[in-house]
Amino acid sequence: MEIFIAQLISGLALGSIYVLLVTGFNLMLLVAKIIQFAYPQIVVISMYTYWWVLQFSNNIFLVILAGLSVSIILSILSEPIFRKINSTPGVDINASFIASMGMAMIAMDIMSHSINYGFPVSFPYKWIGGSILSFGLITISKGQLFALGGGIIAVLIFFYLLYHTNQGRFFRAIAENLFAASLVGIPIIKTSIFSYLIVGILGGFSALLFSMLIGSASPWLGEFVALKMLAVSIVAGLGNLKGGLVCGLILGIIESIAIGYISGSWSNVIAFVVMLIVVLIRPQGLFGTKI
Amino acid sequence: MEKKSNILKTEGLSITYGPIKAVKKVNIEIKQGEFVALIGANGAGKTSLLKAILGIQRPDKGRVQFLGIDITRQSTDKIVSLGLCLIPEGHVIFTSMTVLENLQLGAYHDYDNFEKNLERVFTYFPILQERSSQIAGTLSGGEQQMLSMGRALMSKPKLILIDEPSLGLAPKIVTEIFNILLELNKEGYSILLAEQNAKKALECSHRCYVMQTGEIAMTGFSGDIIDNPKIRQAYLGSN
Repeated sequence: MEIFIAQLISGLALGSIYVLLVTGFNLMLLVAKIIQFAYPQIVVISMYTYWWVLQFSNNIFLVILAGLSVSIILSILSEPIFRKINSTPGVDINASFIASMGMAMIAMDIMSHSINYGFPVSFPYKWIGGSILSFGLITISKGQLFALGGGIIAVLIFFYLLYHTNQGRFFRAIAENLFAASLVGIPIIKTSIFSYLIVGILGGFSALLFSMLIGSASPWLGEFVALKMLAVSIVAGLGNLKGGLVCGLILGIIESIAIGYISGSWSNVIAFVVMLIVVLIRPQGLFGTKI
Repeated sequence: MEKKSNILKTEGLSITYGPIKAVKKVNIEIKQGEFVALIGANGAGKTSLLKAILGIQRPDKGRVQFLGIDITRQSTDKIVSLGLCLIPEGHVIFTSMTVLENLQLGAYHDYDNFEKNLERVFTYFPILQERSSQIAGTLSGGEQQMLSMGRALMSKPKLILIDEPSLGLAPKIVTEIFNILLELNKEGYSILLAEQNAKKALECSHRCYVMQTGEIAMTGFSGDIIDNPKIRQAYLGSN
């Protein structure tokens, strides 16, 4: 039982990272109308930024500012590229998928060639901290607490923005009916750029929590989590924000329990077998596609 | 003189979809306060023309002027902010949002006068006030059409383009909607109505354009056209 509770806690912490990733991915899908497969790479580059700035600064605000800025800048820089792809006649959303896979590949190769000789980087103890609470086998680390707490706060703020502000209403309008949104005079491009900004902030924040949770980053991490992010989004139903919330947490828990009881190396197999089953039985996802 | 000035004018507007010429060198003009009908069979190019005026469909050639400003290459949001709106066919609304949220979105360019505009829309469409917290997708077809119209009115437009409001609605509701259009016109709104139901459209409007395979086949005062059996036979079917 203690093992189960311990794994459940670590699963929820990991799951909240997946939730943040899927939320950003879904927002891109809904508002910018792109499949942003390279989004986790932005998160990983932001993690590398945290690591790099931590080498010579103890100022926590400076470190966070650097990581957040890099994520926001990368996200916004990708906007003109995706806009160009999307506005090409006869091109559908899959073009952005291929383009973002290419971007992810480039980012991964640059990291594996030029940062820390391609070796994974480890975050210092001051960043990840040790265990905060422990009862018997159950220990809660600082990273887990931050990932879970930070994830909940970020998601709450995000949903507040989406459902209780004008800007959020414009996001939902574009997500639901692009034609109607342009008819009422919502500036589509401006609102879309704003969604890249939000996703950039979300990405930088995810990177912060992710680095505290797992304490390391590697060039391959982005692709690894990108596949899971995509799987969660498909299982929940593409573009379904609330579904992504539930399925992200569930994936975290399943993986964590697999690590606790079987072996860590099986967690991927389990996640993707679940995805295949869902795709075969309910192609629209468990909660329904929203695009 | 003020009343007679042009509010909208298109010059040689042409639209093609690949090899298909949907609209060919169309010139129309609407004066301040006029109710103009655009009639023609399905596929005559009415919807394409309206979309081109609003900047949703890019024309290949020609110009669109609204209030003396060239809006041909403007973005739709800019055009809407100038006071032009389109109520498209088939009740295009935000089905997962509430009626009130739909109306709030309609007020994008005039949010300062939101309360005032909302009150005005509710006097035209009292049913929307009753249903304001209901999810828009659960409304009936007629109510959705009213919501679509109400949402457009929230931006306090100077010219209303409305596409096939009678489509798929019961005759009683169609009459109700046309009455509201007449009322709006009396209050000073200029209206361009694209409609397949030629008889109804001619009864309401001052002037009309008849569109055939992408071209303006004829134009004149609605009263003259409705009384002329030859024209009726040629363009509008024998009835």
